[in-house]
Amino acid sequence: MDDPIADLIATTATGDRAAFRQLYSLSSSKLMGVLLRILTNRSDSEDALQEVYTRVWLKAAQFDATKGRGMTWLIAMARNLAIDRLRQRPDHVNDDAAMDAAADPTPRAETRLIATGEARRINDCFDTLEPDRAAALRGAYIAGLSYTDLAARHGVPLNTMRTWLRRSLARLKECMGP
Amino acid sequence: MTDPDDDLIAAEYVMGLLDLEGRTAAQTRLRNDPRFAARVASWEQRLSGLNDAYDDAPAPNLMPQIEARLFPKPAKRHWLNRALTWGSAATAAVAVMAYLALTPPTPDLIATLSSQGSPLLYEAVVTNNRLTVTRVAGAAADPATVHELWIIAGDNPPVSLGVIPGDSTTLSLPGLAPGAVLAVSVEQPGGSPDGIPHGPIIALGPLTDA
Repeated sequence: MDDPIADLIATTATGDRAAFRQLYSLSSSKLMGVLLRILTNRSDSEDALQEVYTRVWLKAAQFDATKGRGMTWLIAMARNLAIDRLRQRPDHVNDDAAMDAAADPTPRAETRLIATGEARRINDCFDTLEPDRAAALRGAYIAGLSYTDLAARHGVPLNTMRTWLRRSLARLKECMGP
Repeated sequence: MTDPDDDLIAAEYVMGLLDLEGRTAAQTRLRNDPRFAARVASWEQRLSGLNDAYDDAPAPNLMPQIEARLFPKPAKRHWLNRALTWGSAATAAVAVMAYLALTPPTPDLIATLSSQGSPLLYEAVVTNNRLTVTRVAGAAADPATVHELWIIAGDNPPVSLGVIPGDSTTLSLPGLAPGAVLAVSVEQPGGSPDGIPHGPIIALGPLTDA
């Protein structure tokens, strides 16, 4: 499949700075969207964006285009960094801004007329889950909410939330296939 | 630990459900256990359809800062002036102390390895083709990990200079030039197995004329 982002990552891995710049201009607004949604403030997100692209340059050789799309790799890098930083915040459980950001875990993509094949597939599988558990899982993935955050938000004990979501993850895997 | 449990932990990690302790443990396994890493990669693909929920947000052009960090130009000003204009009084104080401690002999090249928002600081000095890198502020690697030193010369990929044992390492390294970047990453015990940094880069800085 045509994947210009993957091509640019591969070229960046050879030490090509022009490709690296082009990669930034094609992908930074998507990654900024990811970082802002999880970290919820602009200065932390901009700081994280610099760190993400530093890592992209240093790790570009690890990208394997046979295992997935370039944008998926970049977003995983951004999400991992953002969630690490969120967990390192001493006050993340009581972070009102994060709670507000996560208050609407419905993906905006659902309102779009055209969803990608991958998005349609996972949305169909989410529809087979209990609605509140599906919403909790979306909150985790999209806004970086932990089991502890979700238990507090949904007013259930931590172990209950963990049991719910582990079952939901197993069903999701069954639905999505390997 | 049985396989289904591993797959569940991989799913929880990719979902972002784990707390800091759980994430750190999963990341350690990710570096050491290829089967676990493959499970994480599968979940990343499986869940990638959720990425459509992220809207684009205007990103400022941070490329100048990113490139300045990765590919610094050789310093033209005296490094002490640079250290003072760089910002924090703490950085300057450390630089001054390092400067005083280092005279004599006068080093040929120096670098301050730091990361925005982190207290960690490594100081590097090159004297007579010997590079010494020392942690001068911030915490040591936690016992499950090590700090590994890297050099990035020009547009080349990073090259490992080995694990930093304890707080300091000294290497015989002829041919070092201003502009080369030194970096410290967090790696599994023994260091990166394949010569590519896997853990986060936690401190970075260019070598400049002393």
